[in-house]
Amino acid sequence: MIEVEHLTKSFPGRVAVSDVTFRVEPGEIVGFLGPNGAGKTTAMRCLTGFLPPSEGTARVAGFDVVTHSMKARAHLGYLPESAALYPEMRVRDYLAYRARLEGLRGTDVGKRVDEAIASCLLEEVAGRKVENLSRGYRQRTALAGALVHQPPVLILDEPTVGLDPAQIIRIRETIRRLGSERAVLLSTHILPEVDAVCDRVLIIDRGRIVAEGTAAELRTRLAGAPVVRVALTGAVAAREALAALPGVAAVSEEVADGETRVRLECEAGADPREDVFRTAVAKGWILRELARESLSLEDVFVQLTRHEDAAPAAEGSTPLEAAGEGVPS
Amino acid sequence: MSKFLAIVSREWRAYFLSPLAYVILAAFLVMNGMIFAAIIAFLNTPGAPKGQALPFLFTNTYFWIFNLFVVPIITMRLFAEERKAGTIETLLTSPVSETTVVLGKFVGALGFFLTLWAPTLVYVWILRSQTPIDLGPVAAGYLAITMIGAYFLSIGIFASTLTKNQIVAAILGFAMLIPVFSAGLLETLSNDPGKRETFGYFNLWDHMEEFSRGVVDTRRVVYYLSATAFFLFLTTVSLTAKKESP
Repeated sequence: MIEVEHLTKSFPGRVAVSDVTFRVEPGEIVGFLGPNGAGKTTAMRCLTGFLPPSEGTARVAGFDVVTHSMKARAHLGYLPESAALYPEMRVRDYLAYRARLEGLRGTDVGKRVDEAIASCLLEEVAGRKVENLSRGYRQRTALAGALVHQPPVLILDEPTVGLDPAQIIRIRETIRRLGSERAVLLSTHILPEVDAVCDRVLIIDRGRIVAEGTAAELRTRLAGAPVVRVALTGAVAAREALAALPGVAAVSEEVADGETRVRLECEAGADPREDVFRTAVAKGWILRELARESLSLEDVFVQLTRHEDAAPAAEGSTPLEAAGEGVPS
Repeated sequence: MSKFLAIVSREWRAYFLSPLAYVILAAFLVMNGMIFAAIIAFLNTPGAPKGQALPFLFTNTYFWIFNLFVVPIITMRLFAEERKAGTIETLLTSPVSETTVVLGKFVGALGFFLTLWAPTLVYVWILRSQTPIDLGPVAAGYLAITMIGAYFLSIGIFASTLTKNQIVAAILGFAMLIPVFSAGLLETLSNDPGKRETFGYFNLWDHMEEFSRGVVDTRRVVYYLSATAFFLFLTTVSLTAKKESP
């Protein structure tokens, strides 16, 4: 549905998006994740036909965004980062205007507007002027404007910014529902959002895609050796017994607050948790905690977007390079 | 076509959703009310030629001052506001061509401009009940107002694409209208017949007097329509170029 090949967008003096390639299929929600200024918005603007790409191609619903711009635009709904609205218009009038701009006519306009109002929870404010709405309602009105014509492709630039937690949950539900039959590309810098909403993640940094995959895949790929954390009541000399378990590569131990905390660094793919439990039972240790540490998406993100100037490291050994293996080029 | 009409109707209504429209409308009616009073006074003068009064509505100094100041204020918001607010992004990523957007906004603004003039038809009706009026010159006068209005509005719209700041857009529009208007006035300063004819082609003031006497000269019509089309074309070019550099 969205096909981007070697997309590059440069402005005088800087390259905002550099050789980006990815696809979004129908029924898929893809998260575009990156620090501020990474090129998310520019890439999205190229996709929506607002900016012409410098190099490469982008197709929406099979239509090239440059050569068949009108058809490509007709198949997409776009929520820009600014979520800008006309302050003097009423919510319902604004949505009807957007629907007409998309080519809807007659009774279809009212029907689609009602549906958009319902799916974005705008019933209460449908008759109010945009300028009198709270930030959250404005954001939802803008989202409703993007999907009023029920396009097969949705491009949402930070759709949940400015919403309160309850609203965020409901808008995510809306996006998930829409994404079940559409191709959705959404950008965000809110990491839990990616976990909550997206089927797949593209991490973009300084104009390049540095990693791609499901959130779980990215975690595993970057987590390196798995780590198991064990806590035992009292001061216990557990080091030797645990180090002998199969799959355990290194052990570190400390005693604090009346418990012994052991950290087991394991070989790749190993999971010695059950062995730890049996050993504890056999030795009569009281097990307070037994957990495998998993990398949070924050860690993945920070690792991937850490720059050389912030953490000087040899080229080949940066996490950025390590993660690059899975990226199609 | 329905997309074009959607833009026209939104733009026309947007004027009435802001206080600016009512300020302009009120100022316009005060001005024309004064002119109408002057026309009545003229008609009350013993020996005033019958049927000669109405052209004053179109050929007085206030008419020009008003158009030169008010047209840039009408057009300043058209693109500058959209660019400042960011709504231009949703507008230009809708399946609507730049030309449709420009024409839609232009026709919406022209609609507002003509709405300003609509109440003056009442004056015609009142005068007609008191003194014989030839409707031909009246129609020609309103035709000229529409065409000169369209011409000025097209310049103002072009100015509005050049900046995000509405006030700057209004000043730019005014600065562009002044030479367009005053070039023709050079006619009166020249003795050379060739120059006089050239400047005369641009002398809007004289054109307006011709129209209000009922003379519809096709050279004038061609000038206004082609100049309007030219500035609307420039507007489209400017809008497209602005997409390249956000």
